Amino acid sequence: MASFGAQVQTAGLSIVVLDAAHGGTDPGARGTGGIRESEIVLDFAIQVRRALELQGFQVVQTRQGNENPSFDDRSATANAQRGAVFVTLHISSTGMQGTARVYVNSDLTLVADSNGLIPWDRAQGPFLGLSKTFGDLVQRFLAQRFKGSPEAAQTASVRQLRTTAAPAIAVEISSVTVEDRADLDRMAPGVADAIARGAAAFKPSYVVSNTPGALP
Amino acid sequence: MTPRWKFLLAGGLIFVVLAAAIYFPILRRRVKRTAKLQQQSEEQARRELTQSVVINPGDPRVKTKLFWASDTIDSTLVPVTVELPLSNDPVLRSKQVLNTLLAGPVDVELRTLPPDALLLAFYLLPDGTAIADFSEALATSIPSGIVSEQLAVNSITRTLEANVPQVQRLKILIHGQEMETLAGHLDLTGTFVVSTKAASPAASDTPAAPISGALTPDKTPGRLAQPEHGP
Repeated sequence: MASFGAQVQTAGLSIVVLDAAHGGTDPGARGTGGIRESEIVLDFAIQVRRALELQGFQVVQTRQGNENPSFDDRSATANAQRGAVFVTLHISSTGMQGTARVYVNSDLTLVADSNGLIPWDRAQGPFLGLSKTFGDLVQRFLAQRFKGSPEAAQTASVRQLRTTAAPAIAVEISSVTVEDRADLDRMAPGVADAIARGAAAFKPSYVVSNTPGALP
Repeated sequence: MTPRWKFLLAGGLIFVVLAAAIYFPILRRRVKRTAKLQQQSEEQARRELTQSVVINPGDPRVKTKLFWASDTIDSTLVPVTVELPLSNDPVLRSKQVLNTLLAGPVDVELRTLPPDALLLAFYLLPDGTAIADFSEALATSIPSGIVSEQLAVNSITRTLEANVPQVQRLKILIHGQEMETLAGHLDLTGTFVVSTKAASPAASDTPAAPISGALTPDKTPGRLAQPEHGP
């Protein structure tokens, strides 16, 4: 169970928890040219981090090397923060080259007991509305940069997002099937800028209790 | 003990050690081979059971919508209408439409599911929850990624929604086991909403009127299935 205590004071958005997906024994999507999702997202994370720091955010990464924390460990990193959003970075195996999609979790049945305790496995439930707002903002900036990308965030049952008690999005870039890795590397600054601008634009919408992992 | 007996005993021990050294690797190979054969037999049995659910030409021919990838809009689904003889029994009918979906469209580029994936079992609970058990290939051969995994699940749920009104929710198992994700992204721990409409037993007894023509792609793009996590 995740604890959601009394909501007295509110905290502003100041932290972005950045998750480079996969890692360690899990390479994620693999391209024919030896491109590994786990390596590229880590490189992307470096640029995203810089862009976020320029916007005044503190950045916490779920991994900085070739490790593979569990889904729950990655969520726990986010759930321990106050005033945070969560962004998980992915590279797909399919989809139109040079596009980027933002996903937010699909509807989750909200179940809380009389003490306001929300089961860990549905921690994202209370944040779905904020996640959608955040996701739409980031997707809008991505669509401006990368033609063919959707205009609004899409819903999907992404496992990593479900246990995260914060506004949370997955950003997936297409794809590892590029012939030259440089094609993906060239997208990194645009992706970083879109996420950072999206997070900055989301700041006024972010109103949650200052309790770690608190309900919005 | 005389030196002769000591010699014989030592010789005997050396013989036993040598025999064991030769025999153990052979035994290990045999055990591995037996285990592999057992696994293959299990898979073969499952295949045979799966293949026993074939299209019965005696069943009424029904306009059937199958959801495969669009060739014009990136990462979306389009319904393709085919005329198939389908059973009125919802479980048999589900197996028939899913096996046809797994067989894939004429254009292999529009597949949403791996060509080697099999439907091993299908159950339907009284509350409308269906359980579909697929072979490991569904998880191991599918391209990894949110978009490809979501497209695969959506093609299954939308095909069931369009053809088997009794199915309200779908739980996906891989080789009889609950998996955390399909291929690293999509959550398989919950059930996927197939249809929000109430089950209508009468609908299953009245198959749609047969139409002429086959493989008629509609233009409506697919939408995302909504997962559901029960309490």
